[in-house]
Amino acid sequence: MSVLCWGRGAAGLRRALQPCGCPGLLAKEGILGGVCGPRRSSSASPQEQDQDRRKDWGHVELLEVLQARVRQLQAESVSEVVVNRVDVARLPERGSGDGGPQPPRKVQRGATGASPVPRSGWAQRLEKDKRIQRMHMQQLEVNLQMQVQSQSEELKVWPKHLQVEPRLLSKQLAVFLAPESSWEEQLPRVLQEAPRKLRLAVGRAPSTQAQLSGQQQKLLAFFKCCLLTDHLPLAHHLLVTHHSQQRKQKLLTLDMYNTVMLGWARQGAFRELVYVLLMVKDAGLTPDLLSYAAILQCMGRRGQDAGTIERCLKQMSQEGLKLQALFTAVPLSAEEQATVLKAVHKVKRTFSLPPRPPPAVNTSKLLRAVYAKDGPVSYPKLHLPLKTLQSLFEKQLCVELASKVCVVSVEKPALPSEEVTHARKTLQTLRDHWEKALCRVLQETKNHLEVEVHKGRFSLYPFLCLLDEREVVQMLLQALPAQGESFTTLARELSARTFSRHVVQRRRLSGQVQALETYYRKYLHLLASDTKVRRAPPLLLRQYWEMQMELGKQLAEMLVQATRMPSSLDNRHGSSRLVPVLYHVYSFRNVQQIGILKPHPAYVQLLETAAEPTLTFEAVDVPMLCPPLPWTSPHTGAFLLSPTKLMRTVEGATQHQELLETCPPTAARRSGRSHPTGQLRLACRPGLEAPQPEEAHLPQSATPARKAELAGSWRCQKVARRCTACGLRLYRLSLAQHLGQVFWLPHNMDFSGRTYPCSPHFNHLGSDGRCPPGPHCPPHPLSPQGRKWWMGAEEPWQTLACCMEVANAALLPPFSISRLRPLPQDGSCNGLQHYAALGRDSVGAASVNLEPSDVPQDVYSGVAAQVEVFRRQDAQRGTRVAQMLEGFITRKVVKQTVMTVVYGVTRYGGRLQIEKRLRELTDFPQEFVWEASHYLVRQVFKSLQEMFSGTRAIQHWLTESARLISHMGSVVEWVTPLGIPIIQPYRLEHKVKQVRGGIQSITYTHNGDISQKPNTRKQKNGFPPNFIHSLDSSHMMLTALHCYRKGLTFVSVHDCYWTHAADVAVMNQVCREQFVRLHSEPILEDLSRFLVSRFCPNPTPRKISQCWEASQLKETLQAVPKPGAFDLERVKHSTYFFS
Amino acid sequence: MWIPVAGLPLRLRLSALAGAGRFCILGSGAAMRKHLPARNRRGLADSSPQLLPEPDFRNPPRKASRSSLDFKRYVTDRRLATTLAQIVCGKPNRPPHLLLECNPGPGILTEALLEAGATVVALESDKTFIPHLESLGKNLDGKLRVIHCDFFRIDPRSGGAIKPPAMSSEGLFKNLGVEEVPWTAGVPLKVFGMFPSRGEKRALWKLAYDLYSCSSIYKFGRIEINMFIGEKEFQKLMADPRNRGLYYVLSVVWQVACEIKVLHMEPWSSFDVYTRSGRLENTKRKEVLELLQQNLYLIQMTPRRNLFANSLTPMNYNIFFHLLKHCFGKRSATVIDHLRSLTPLDAADILMQIGKKEDEKVVNMYPEDFKRLFETIESSEDCTYKWLYDDTLEDM
Repeated sequence: MSVLCWGRGAAGLRRALQPCGCPGLLAKEGILGGVCGPRRSSSASPQEQDQDRRKDWGHVELLEVLQARVRQLQAESVSEVVVNRVDVARLPERGSGDGGPQPPRKVQRGATGASPVPRSGWAQRLEKDKRIQRMHMQQLEVNLQMQVQSQSEELKVWPKHLQVEPRLLSKQLAVFLAPESSWEEQLPRVLQEAPRKLRLAVGRAPSTQAQLSGQQQKLLAFFKCCLLTDHLPLAHHLLVTHHSQQRKQKLLTLDMYNTVMLGWARQGAFRELVYVLLMVKDAGLTPDLLSYAAILQCMGRRGQDAGTIERCLKQMSQEGLKLQALFTAVPLSAEEQATVLKAVHKVKRTFSLPPRPPPAVNTSKLLRAVYAKDGPVSYPKLHLPLKTLQSLFEKQLCVELASKVCVVSVEKPALPSEEVTHARKTLQTLRDHWEKALCRVLQETKNHLEVEVHKGRFSLYPFLCLLDEREVVQMLLQALPAQGESFTTLARELSARTFSRHVVQRRRLSGQVQALETYYRKYLHLLASDTKVRRAPPLLLRQYWEMQMELGKQLAEMLVQATRMPSSLDNRHGSSRLVPVLYHVYSFRNVQQIGILKPHPAYVQLLETAAEPTLTFEAVDVPMLCPPLPWTSPHTGAFLLSPTKLMRTVEGATQHQELLETCPPTAARRSGRSHPTGQLRLACRPGLEAPQPEEAHLPQSATPARKAELAGSWRCQKVARRCTACGLRLYRLSLAQHLGQVFWLPHNMDFSGRTYPCSPHFNHLGSDGRCPPGPHCPPHPLSPQGRKWWMGAEEPWQTLACCMEVANAALLPPFSISRLRPLPQDGSCNGLQHYAALGRDSVGAASVNLEPSDVPQDVYSGVAAQVEVFRRQDAQRGTRVAQMLEGFITRKVVKQTVMTVVYGVTRYGGRLQIEKRLRELTDFPQEFVWEASHYLVRQVFKSLQEMFSGTRAIQHWLTESARLISHMGSVVEWVTPLGIPIIQPYRLEHKVKQVRGGIQSITYTHNGDISQKPNTRKQKNGFPPNFIHSLDSSHMMLTALHCYRKGLTFVSVHDCYWTHAADVAVMNQVCREQFVRLHSEPILEDLSRFLVSRFCPNPTPRKISQCWEASQLKETLQAVPKPGAFDLERVKHSTYFFS
Repeated sequence: MWIPVAGLPLRLRLSALAGAGRFCILGSGAAMRKHLPARNRRGLADSSPQLLPEPDFRNPPRKASRSSLDFKRYVTDRRLATTLAQIVCGKPNRPPHLLLECNPGPGILTEALLEAGATVVALESDKTFIPHLESLGKNLDGKLRVIHCDFFRIDPRSGGAIKPPAMSSEGLFKNLGVEEVPWTAGVPLKVFGMFPSRGEKRALWKLAYDLYSCSSIYKFGRIEINMFIGEKEFQKLMADPRNRGLYYVLSVVWQVACEIKVLHMEPWSSFDVYTRSGRLENTKRKEVLELLQQNLYLIQMTPRRNLFANSLTPMNYNIFFHLLKHCFGKRSATVIDHLRSLTPLDAADILMQIGKKEDEKVVNMYPEDFKRLFETIESSEDCTYKWLYDDTLEDM
């Protein structure tokens, strides 16, 4: 066996390291149409065998070795058995299709039977050789057969033996396999059988997916995927083979059996269903609701007689399972539910579906006004007519069905010179060839993997069947990296795309598109009229995607394997050898090496020359063309068909999803509708060109030193060029041009509840350079308040520049519509505002503009003044540093520290910040910087403590609570005032997962493991800022909802709100009101109550140490900091609260 | 620094007079401090392909000097000082080179060097020693200059502001009146010192980058470096296919670039190890005990005149480095396998050109073979694209 492994391993390694194989041989036959070398169909004829060397290098090499060995043995005149066997091995090589080779086992058996029993040492050696050969040959045969098979699809060479009948360990159960009566009769009896092997009753039922081992997750995913792709017999086969082996049986869980059972139920296949059920019993498991749902469904489909169903139901109730629960707790599609109901009705005619729970409405007091039905409600109307919206919807639907968008690049259109046309043509030819090659490789891989499953091994086969072959090939071609991309990224990307395409495909097939169209029409009507929006029905979709990396890797490897190009593209007619397009190169970072797929430089050059006029994006990466769907479940909303998640979480973290699914619909779910439908317009300057660096040629005689200098500057130029080229042909502008008129940015949120746009390429967050001017609103006169805002803006130049840009944009002919920049309103040190309000700090509140005042208060100046007071005292007392600092304490010095203190900056970090500022001061004696910064940071903290006494207390309380909770071994969780559950995902160690083999092994961290201990430091430091974030996001959400209710267009970036200048007054009012209402809630008390109920174990733990810890935790949690005397209502009258 | 200002010279003198050791070692390490496992792993970097021997220049660890094995070693024995001075200064009839002495410390060797007639520039990173060193050169008519500077932090690659003891070579050499000379000219000056006990590899990499790119000190010509190096690193540096277990990237890099001569060997066994709390008498720490059993080697590294004679240049040296790193990333593989990830050219053809067989293993290639391999690909004519490597690869 080891030899065989070596063979496979070596082949893998070869393939990994030498993607270009044996090019010399390829060059020989250079007959070929166009640029792209020979049509590389693989055939088994000996002449063409050489061509395929690259692909099956390892195997062919083995074959050669074997042949040589045979010759050697022949020379030694050995028994003809060996020769015969070699002939068998050669059969496919000769391309014989006569009957096809036999399955390997037969060959083996025959051979062993024929060979004489060896006695002497020589004979033993021979026998050993033979054994090795036999193994080689089996391997060879499999491979060669696969080749043959791939060529002649119609010629089914590989006999498909899929096991249907299970092998049961229990003799008593095995009786059922040969029934005297019909299968239908059998079922209730099987159900009555007690499960075997009670040993497994405990500890065998992992409750969540996260607790399954990697192997188990893979298997479960395999079964589910088989169900999706109609490969049920295959799933059954694997289940049976696993079940029949003691060791492998341990991997199987009830979920897996249920999955297969459900599959059979859907097909109404009774015999197979009973088989699975037998296996369930045999494995010592008890059927649960899901199993019964499947059984009943199957019976419903077959129109079973009442007797059987009755006995079945009886058994079910005996096991303590409720009939009602079948319809409430089991996720079934409407059709399935009807089938089950049909079966049930045969026995219990009066049974009716349990009443649907009324759609849960958010119970938060804060939102009552929003959802109140009374009174006229004015939602902002889109200024677009219904017809336009509908056509936009259709456009978007098309885009999402295609899963990609082609965008015309704004880069100066290259004149289609001869060179360019030629390059484009070449590219097209290449792509056509690659398409074919990829198709072939995909088929080969699939065949190979299918054989693996037949052998009872897990493989990726069903996953590759998720999409039809053409689509996979298209996707792969589209993903061909143009610049070089990390292998891992590519793999992840590919699997994500597969998944999203699959979801779209399924939705299309299941007729959801039509349903969606009707719903969306109604929705559009709503946007024009003013009735209340009904929730769309939840689209059933379970996400399980553990196979991510494996699948992505397989796909990426296929891409590498299949694509090749002639070594020189210039050589138009001459024959040239084929070289791979993608190379697997390592890049060396600090301690790790990163595998990168790098395209052949000639290909990169070709792409550049061709300067293709279009860019392709994934549909989910660009903003939407029509108003997004409201979020109706954690997985549904925003995009019409493509899957998106409501909450962005760390990959693999299922905890959030589970929590979200169980919580009642919150404001967050509604946010998709109400909040971020900012309609943006973008300025766009056509015809930008990337600067070309001058490529000077250096004379050979130049001195090394000179060369070195040049090398430096060249590198700079290259980088600069790449940057511009990488704004990859200015894709943002291209996108903007593509979107042109109006578009929508669907939002989702991060774990702390802050919202972000879904599309990464183009949004209103991020650096100024790409920041498009905010929402477009119908023109209004600029209000006086707006002007005041501009004058008071902190960085007037930046603002002005932004305005100028808008003005510029407006001047461009296609966009010359009169328009105004939306007005951003920014909270002054928003984090501190929330803290001050939480703690009711009078002084603090005044300094962050919560208190009405004639002039805007500036907290930074305030802190600086307070620090100055302390400094003066110290200076009088004779402290040298304090004296030294006279005149240096300015707003600027303390600003950063004050700003970041809310977000948990420590003394250490604060000192570094101040040190930086002090170093910038030229006249400050630099040798005192350390001392001075040390002194200052203490004073800043002291001042803050003085001014925001409540703030520090709250921060301390939060930190301490988090520390204790984390010590108890849990991660901190809480619920925002709007009811969004939040979990801090910081854990001590991430599980490192590795996918081995192939081109390279991929290592990635997996965060889904909830059994890991929490990272106390991160939990502790993260809690205060995350909590404040959850408050400011609540405030934002409230403001958004109420603004929307009042008919305002609203955009926000966390704590900066934008609306149209004319609406500022309304928004300001709403914003203040909501702030007051939010903080009028007993936020901290609620938090304390929640944390106590969540984390304080009710029966006190036995261990004394734990007991002590628990009591300490409870004490801390209940010691909510006392609020100060500030009157919140005054915020409503503060002019500068948000400005 | 942690060295008490007044106490130090006294302690040094004591140790020197006692004659207990020929070197004096000062260690910052608290002996009790646990040895970090991370360090251990880094130490194994050569054998594991996952880890890369190149240190990160951008983020030098802040606490490096606090490491428990970070000793300062100074020559404190007069006899040894005289021997070394003779070795470094060469024959008395030759005009002496300008000599940069790195971290002379108490200045015993400096005195010996001055006596041997050398012109010495003492680059001392520790301010404590500077007054004493300056006093040594008082009556010597400018034969000794003392500069507060850390030789291993000249032109730090991290960029940013350069604060003493880091320095720019430009400023330093201008200050010393050293002129640039062409690469093919003679050796403009010599450097004498010891590689920092912890960061030998880091220092070697920094110097290698400087050398191949002809920047920093090597901008001024082929500067000869005489350094004491630890036994382990020495063996690795000098390794080749005959000693393949230790053969790694730096061996090739340095053997290609320089002629390396061993001038002297000095055992560690007689060292005094000083920690912050004083002299360490009986240590039970394995690492320290191991160190004490090793030798220190004084090696002379003279850059080769013909290093850039062919197609290897200061502009494409990074490709050469990448080639080496790639090859040694999986050292048991064959060269041809690596070549296929390095160049789009026909790998078999190239191997034929350099006269190697197709199944040549990486560890069987001598340093000069690597250079020839690189130059063959670099100078292959009929192809536009010679390498898959480009600068973008490093920032990806």
